[in-house]
Amino acid sequence: MSTSSAGDVATALERVRHAGMALRARPRAATLDCLAQVLDRWRDPTSKARLSLDLALPEATGFSREVVRAGLVHALQGWTGDALRAVVQRELGGSPRVGDRGCTLAEGFETTSVLLAGALPSPTLLAILAPLALGSPVLVRISSGDPVTARVVASSISEVDPRLGECVEVVQFRAGDLGALDAFLSAECVVASGSDATISAIAARIRPPRRLVAYGHRASVAVLGPGALTSSALPETCQRLALDVALWDQLGCLSPLAVYVIAADCSAIDDLAEGLASALAQAEPRLPRGRIPIAAAAAFARARAEAEVRVAAGRGVGVYGSPRDRWCVVREDTEELREAPLYRFVRIHPLADLAGLSAALGALAPHLAAVAIDGFGADSRSAAQRVAGLGASRVCAPGRMQAPPLGWHHDGQGILTPLCRFSDLEAD
Amino acid sequence: MSDSERSALDAKVLAWMREPATIEWPHDEERFDRLALELFAFQFEHCAPYGRFCARRGRTPATVQNWRDVPPVPSGAFKELALRSFAAEATVHVFRTSGTSAPRRGELHLDTLALYEASVVPSFVVHVLPELVLRQPPDAARPRLRVLAPAPLVAPDSSLSHMFGVLLRELASQGAIGPSGFDVAWGELRFEGWLRALEDAMAHHAPLVLCGTAFAFVHALDELARRGARLSLPAGSRVMETGGFKGRARELSRQALYALIEERLSIPPARIVNQYGMTELASQFHDSVLRFPGAARRKLAPPWVRVRLVDPATGDQVLPGEVGVVVIHDLGNTGSVCAVETADLARAVADGFEVIGREPGAEARGCSLAADEMLTGLGPA
Repeated sequence: MSTSSAGDVATALERVRHAGMALRARPRAATLDCLAQVLDRWRDPTSKARLSLDLALPEATGFSREVVRAGLVHALQGWTGDALRAVVQRELGGSPRVGDRGCTLAEGFETTSVLLAGALPSPTLLAILAPLALGSPVLVRISSGDPVTARVVASSISEVDPRLGECVEVVQFRAGDLGALDAFLSAECVVASGSDATISAIAARIRPPRRLVAYGHRASVAVLGPGALTSSALPETCQRLALDVALWDQLGCLSPLAVYVIAADCSAIDDLAEGLASALAQAEPRLPRGRIPIAAAAAFARARAEAEVRVAAGRGVGVYGSPRDRWCVVREDTEELREAPLYRFVRIHPLADLAGLSAALGALAPHLAAVAIDGFGADSRSAAQRVAGLGASRVCAPGRMQAPPLGWHHDGQGILTPLCRFSDLEAD
Repeated sequence: MSDSERSALDAKVLAWMREPATIEWPHDEERFDRLALELFAFQFEHCAPYGRFCARRGRTPATVQNWRDVPPVPSGAFKELALRSFAAEATVHVFRTSGTSAPRRGELHLDTLALYEASVVPSFVVHVLPELVLRQPPDAARPRLRVLAPAPLVAPDSSLSHMFGVLLRELASQGAIGPSGFDVAWGELRFEGWLRALEDAMAHHAPLVLCGTAFAFVHALDELARRGARLSLPAGSRVMETGGFKGRARELSRQALYALIEERLSIPPARIVNQYGMTELASQFHDSVLRFPGAARRKLAPPWVRVRLVDPATGDQVLPGEVGVVVIHDLGNTGSVCAVETADLARAVADGFEVIGREPGAEARGCSLAADEMLTGLGPA
């Protein structure tokens, strides 16, 4: 895709602004019908959109074709048209449109700019559909990690409804092109994903009263109680965790970086490490890890070598890795969170009890996204509530981490409400 | 007897370091290989964690036939444990990494400073003051060395400060430099003193050798800019900068730093040498620009050091032109571990290499959101 200049970006924004007038004039239900069709098509592995992603995404993102296919099956399994309507109902309560009296109106902004990040396709899909569901046209800046998905989403929308398709424009501009960035950020609402530093820098460039909806750097972990480590449960636990790690090569915000184990018996932790390593080895032919940049490969190898040094120093550490670093499991001897090289590098830490999880996560605690929990038996509910209390926006079972519901409160926010302008019309 | 073995090894390495340095400084492959294998055998036996680390990889003195096969420890290992090939009670000094952002600091434990100090001067002279090697006629005045880093007494665990202390001591004792000194103390740049020293050198037409950390240079240059000052330093002046900006409030690319140095101090990039070193190593690398003027800039090592650029997944040397992880084999590290894998990526350039980046992920990361690319040149509107 060619690079857009500041003028190109400004022109694209004006085009969607113009198209947005017709969008706001149509009934929300009609727009939702179109978007529901898009979602239903995307769930069909034989659809044009899915075939396009199958073809182009591996080369563009570095994920293997098998991971792209399996990842999309998992990610989209609950993303139905009905699920979208349910989210609208849940968040907006079918709020009436202008003209009704004594009510709250919920409208999208005149334009919404969406700054994408990362390489996973499903967040891109939702990031584009959500503003449209509110009647706000969308200008998208693709991420360098995935130059494909946003265009496929735009094409899918155009196929279902060409007029609605005119409400989406996809641009790419050079990093550091401040003119283009400022033109992009002149939309009334800006949705940005990225690290804390990126979000802060974007926030500093947005002129009031524009709305910034930020999705920051996130991390996920798993926490296992004794019930997940029994000899009968362990194989299933390992298979499920391996799936959570292998899908999207551990690069998503819902991918577990570490597994915390509450177990009186140290050998149970060793067994888990060995079992998870074995499950990752079994997953590799089915879901081969994709391309890895040299810097990431170096970080992976160093983290493994550093763990091997701790083994050599007589610490209670274990290293289970594949010969060419396709995956690695490190059984740590302390709670202390360590560097996460990603690309299927998992650390298993002992944890005295759930109360210690926040301290164990350290600097990562405020960035918690999902926590997979299992093995707490009758205490499962209270365990989930304690984890939620740490700030996790999603608590689920192992094996489900890469299949978030459409209405998951990403970063603890609604899907639609952050993108809304609410107006309270008081009755006479 | 390990003490006599070690003494013999130290003596051989020291002898090499003390041979007269030349601009060519040829690398004696056979000599390096022989000493590296001796050193590996010694460290395999006397640094128990390292020995077990190597054995786990199937590398023992019986199987390692060439210095290239000596297994490197990752530099992060120095944060995990004291990698010593001597008894703990023999420790005479510990250098620590700066620890500006990392949760723990790396430590190099030493039972002697002799090799460390013997390595410093010839490397510096060959790459920063090659006139001394060439024995060219002296300038009207001896060069003066100003250091934008704390003195060793102020920062005793800083290997960088120790290095500058040794340089000042040794070069002054040889009568090679004029009035010189440190201009950072207790974390503060002593700007007025630094400026006076520069002006005095200018008044005496004495070339200046400005050394220091990159971020200290930025502070000094910022202050010059705030005052609207541009100095025209005497002919023959040069800069040697080292270190990065990690954890600092302000970061500059090396290119931008060099442009600022040229703008404020009238020293062109061709006379600015970057020193690449690590607390965990006894020896340093320097840019080639003053040693081989006009040739491509690359980092060069003294003859008792070798570099391999390796594929991180296999540990094999990469092909010429490919990017690899920097692995350093430094014979000066007799008391710890000779082979260290750094966190840096580099590409070979002629007889040296250029560092092209550092692995991300020194701290725990979460998802791979890549929007940081947007930060390039991004600041408040």
